[in-house]
Amino acid sequence: MSLLDISDLTLDLPNGTRLLDGISLGVEAGETVGLVGESGSGKSLTARTVLGLTPDGSALGGRVLVDGRDLVAAGRRDVLDVRRHAAAMIFQDPRAGINPMRTIGDHMTETLRLCEGKSESEARARAIELLTAVRLPRPEDHLKQYPHEFSGGMLQRVMIAGALTSSPKLLVCDEPTTALDVTTQAEIIRVLVEQRASRGMGMLFITHDLNLAASICDRVVVMNKGRVEETGDARRVFSAPQADYTKRLVAATPTVTGSAGPVIEIRDASAPATSPVDAPGGDAAGPVPEPVAAPTPLERPDEASAITVAAAPADDEPILAVAGVSKTYHLRGKPPVHAVASTDLRLARGRALAVVGESGSGKSTLARMIVGLEEPDTGEIRVAGRDRTIVPKSRQERIAHARSVQMVFQDPYLSLDPRITAGRAIEDALRLHTELSTTGARARVVELLEQVGLGAQHAQARPRTLSGGQRQRVAIARALAIEPDVLVMDEATSALDVSVQAQVLDLVARIREERGLTLLFISHDLAVVRRVCEETVVMRYGEIVERGSTVELLAAPQHPYTQLLIDSVPKPEWAPEPRRAEASA
Amino acid sequence: MTVSNNTLAVEVMRAPKLKPANATFGIAIGVISVMTLAAIFAPFIAPYPPDQLDFAAVNAPPSPEHWLGTDGLGRDLLSRLIFGARTALLGPLLVVIGSTVVGMLLGLIAGWRGGWIDAVLGRIFDVLFAFPSLLLAIMAVALFGKGLVAPVIAMSIAYAPFVARLTRALIKAERTRPYVAAYRVQGFSGPWIALRRVLPNVTPIVGAQSTLNFGYVLAELAGLSFLGLGVQPPTPDWGAMINEAQAGIVGGHFLPALEPAVCVVLVVVAFNIIGEELSDRIGGEIPA
Amino acid sequence: MALDSSTKAVAAQRAAAAGPHRGGHAAATVRRVAGKLGSLALTLFLASLLVFFSRFLVPGDPVSFLLRGRKPSPEAIAQVTAQYGLDLPPWQQYLNWLFGALQGDWGRSLQYRQDVSTVIGERLPVTLMLVVMAGILIAIVGLSAGIVASLNKGRVLDRATLIGLTVLSAIPSFVGSIVLIAVFAVQLGWFPTFGSGEGFADTVYHLVLPSIALAIVFVVLVGKVTRSSMVEQLGREHVEVATSRGLKRGTVIRRHVFRNSLGPILTVSGILVAGLIVASTIVEAAFGIAGIGSLLVASVDRLDFPVVQAIVMLVVTTFVVVNAIIDIAEPLIDPRSAAGASAR
Repeated sequence: MSLLDISDLTLDLPNGTRLLDGISLGVEAGETVGLVGESGSGKSLTARTVLGLTPDGSALGGRVLVDGRDLVAAGRRDVLDVRRHAAAMIFQDPRAGINPMRTIGDHMTETLRLCEGKSESEARARAIELLTAVRLPRPEDHLKQYPHEFSGGMLQRVMIAGALTSSPKLLVCDEPTTALDVTTQAEIIRVLVEQRASRGMGMLFITHDLNLAASICDRVVVMNKGRVEETGDARRVFSAPQADYTKRLVAATPTVTGSAGPVIEIRDASAPATSPVDAPGGDAAGPVPEPVAAPTPLERPDEASAITVAAAPADDEPILAVAGVSKTYHLRGKPPVHAVASTDLRLARGRALAVVGESGSGKSTLARMIVGLEEPDTGEIRVAGRDRTIVPKSRQERIAHARSVQMVFQDPYLSLDPRITAGRAIEDALRLHTELSTTGARARVVELLEQVGLGAQHAQARPRTLSGGQRQRVAIARALAIEPDVLVMDEATSALDVSVQAQVLDLVARIREERGLTLLFISHDLAVVRRVCEETVVMRYGEIVERGSTVELLAAPQHPYTQLLIDSVPKPEWAPEPRRAEASA
Repeated sequence: MTVSNNTLAVEVMRAPKLKPANATFGIAIGVISVMTLAAIFAPFIAPYPPDQLDFAAVNAPPSPEHWLGTDGLGRDLLSRLIFGARTALLGPLLVVIGSTVVGMLLGLIAGWRGGWIDAVLGRIFDVLFAFPSLLLAIMAVALFGKGLVAPVIAMSIAYAPFVARLTRALIKAERTRPYVAAYRVQGFSGPWIALRRVLPNVTPIVGAQSTLNFGYVLAELAGLSFLGLGVQPPTPDWGAMINEAQAGIVGGHFLPALEPAVCVVLVVVAFNIIGEELSDRIGGEIPA
Repeated sequence: MALDSSTKAVAAQRAAAAGPHRGGHAAATVRRVAGKLGSLALTLFLASLLVFFSRFLVPGDPVSFLLRGRKPSPEAIAQVTAQYGLDLPPWQQYLNWLFGALQGDWGRSLQYRQDVSTVIGERLPVTLMLVVMAGILIAIVGLSAGIVASLNKGRVLDRATLIGLTVLSAIPSFVGSIVLIAVFAVQLGWFPTFGSGEGFADTVYHLVLPSIALAIVFVVLVGKVTRSSMVEQLGREHVEVATSRGLKRGTVIRRHVFRNSLGPILTVSGILVAGLIVASTIVEAAFGIAGIGSLLVASVDRLDFPVVQAIVMLVVTTFVVVNAIIDIAEPLIDPRSAAGASAR
């Protein structure tokens, strides 16, 4: 008997919308099954039916057998029984998923005390045992702490330990690492895989990240718009997809490894001891463990050689020159945060430079200083030879700064004014920066919209009626309207689905080709960077730890942190297939 | 994807399609319209002058001559109610306009500029919050005498901090949105962004709250007249009418007190329904 | 700023993850409470300025202001001038008034020819009783209405409750009072129409209708905030997590939904306190209860400004103190507020 057997599952909302349409999948004990798809595919909804968590008033059809009990037909008792003994779920965002007003100890012991009738001390002992199992450094202390005292990675460990309190046979993980940095993700995945193996659980792993699914799943189920597109052995599905949708999805997914991927070798060569992840209790030091004390002898030569690389294409002044820039935030009652510490960047005209780092690395602060939203404490920023260090004040300064740099922001849902139509947004920018007449500006708006793959019909659309990808295209068109020397893209595609991301990245590549645009690309995603940028710098704790050509940096990282980043990106164990021509080169 | 409430709020508000107006909303609009028209055209509609005495018909029940009966002095209740709508609606209108204009302005300054201005204004608001509107109105009467003027000014002052705090919270939330940063990066000036782009985005929410306030202010001003501190007899006013008729209740003459009370309740319910419907359409929850 | 706030968050976590530091915690608590108390004192000080100097907004000389409506005999003028130190500079008058008030001396009532504190003291208990009874009603009815509505969100019971609350919210206390008097006191004769009775039981009996009339509007406010706060928490992911772990619905509601929605409910309740005392003026007037509220109206009516000043200051102080207590107690409900992290 399968641990989980879903067949012909349908889910209809009271208004008649069918959200799930004939889903069938199964999980055996000891097996990891990946459920992959983009947003709106219904993968999370499917996962939730396993625990009887369905939207109010929705109607289920088909069968969801969990450990022999059918949840579609089950009464309240059976549902409780499944939740208490058969299956447990780990949710995406641990910060939202653990009651912020109760202690970690309460979260850990709650079900033991209230559902299993264990005594206070029994429950406590079990909680400590489980917190130790997920490698939290000080289980006894943690029981008294509150969620806000924990980093996201630590909280996700608590969530995992909490799910294990019922000794479930089936573990459902709903994007358990999506809210986390890549190095933290790697640690969490390790804990999950370890626990699954040692307990012989079955695991249903929901993710949008094909690379992640490929790296840990035995089998995968690909979903799209409430239907199953393809099911099969993970390796087979990703290396030889059958369904058209899967093919497109696989093609759209960027990877860090490619045909020229000596990355595996490098990983083997790097001494594991320097990798902070392996240090026991490393997480206790912070969300990202404290590294070897700053400037290691390794770094200096790197930097020198990297500058040569970055500045190589031209002898004349680079179009963007950041010299010795630092920014420190002083928060009341907290030690000062050095968001950016004496950073140098040089970017030649027409090139694309990536700034890569995890949250808190200072990459976004750097971007905000370059576009004039914040002022550096020290150092100098020059664009096309003109000083652009300070936050512009006067009208003249503002307009000059805007013509030097424009920015495309991370979240297309928030970076467009909800009240202003797409056409009006672009027209506003044109009116401010050009002398165009009303009709001239309108014509130019249509031109720009067409350049980014939209049309005149989108000019009247408010952001609400546009998709994420369309919104980001509008944001790009708006930036291009000003014809800046440099375009900064701050995590501009990270909120988008992978297929949409691919389209936007293609658009960016095309515009670069057509207009010789100079691009500063801020991202946490090495795979995306590989597709877009010739050069890359890696930031951590406000400092650049390594720089160089993207291909070389990915193939032969020198700094341990870069190595750690690359190692942390999920990769299937089987040899990666060259799926796509090198983006750069 | 976190799309914040307020952004959504504004989007929904701006949606061209109007939801099929539900029945209660329509009725509420109807009630307000009728009352407003009655107030404006009172002299032409009212069957009698509001202070015409008829000692032949004291505390008379409804009849063809007096549709809603008469009060203890034989004055026609319908006529008094129609004229009473004038003070009943005018007072709250002035208070709502005054407090909304002042409150939005101060809230915009505090929320947009932040820093010490915000701190100083915040402190002033904190102090004013400690004076409930009715108390401030009573104090104003104690200082400047009875009538409508002093209470209206006092209530405007009392309500302004609520509007200001709401506006400030909305502006502050809006200010951190990437779309504002995007305007800055494009080279637009701070005042332009604040006045031309951000303020219009928060106005619908503030407007919905002010509509709700209208009902509360009306009830409070009527209460003040009920206490004998507001509009003074013989001027017809709903609150004052209830006050005058109070003595008759024990004697079993309910109508002279009940009728103005019903008017107050009708108008307040109507404004509550409209205000709630508006804020529902905008997206509901108003940040504290 | 979303971006640097993430930087700040990371920094805060780096600091927090560095280990538990209970010593620093206690110091932080002391600092926080001291800050709140300082803020309370400042607010009260500013409010006292407003209450005292409001008199100077009135054009004309202060003696004739205080003696409005009374015969300005030379003796009376001399007495008022001496009593209020009207010949002193304003700031000195203020200091005298403030220090007197701090020692319980609010001056003399012009109307009752008694100390203001005595006049108020006699009337305070019945108002307190009224407010407490109304408060109990508000808590019971408001909370239950809000909870019932939120747990049936979108269903008939929720809509019915919401409609009921909307209607109730339009019944000002004076309307509630006359309707209750007309129906339950005059028509049915179940309750007295007037006064506050003698002895505890009789007082409670006399105050039943007044406290209902007083509670109506506030029930709505508490009911609505309870509903919206509960609904917000019900939609939180941690509630889904708790459900997914096999806890019974009742347990989830009690431990994760209700507990977490208390913050806004308490905040609103604190704000209501002052409104409740002020609204009691109307109810007391309607039911002929000799409390603080009717004293306030009578004092305004009879131009007895010292009493008005004292009552206003009393209400304001109550408001500020109650809210400071709620503010200080907040970390007991939400541990994040103590850490200075953004609440909720």
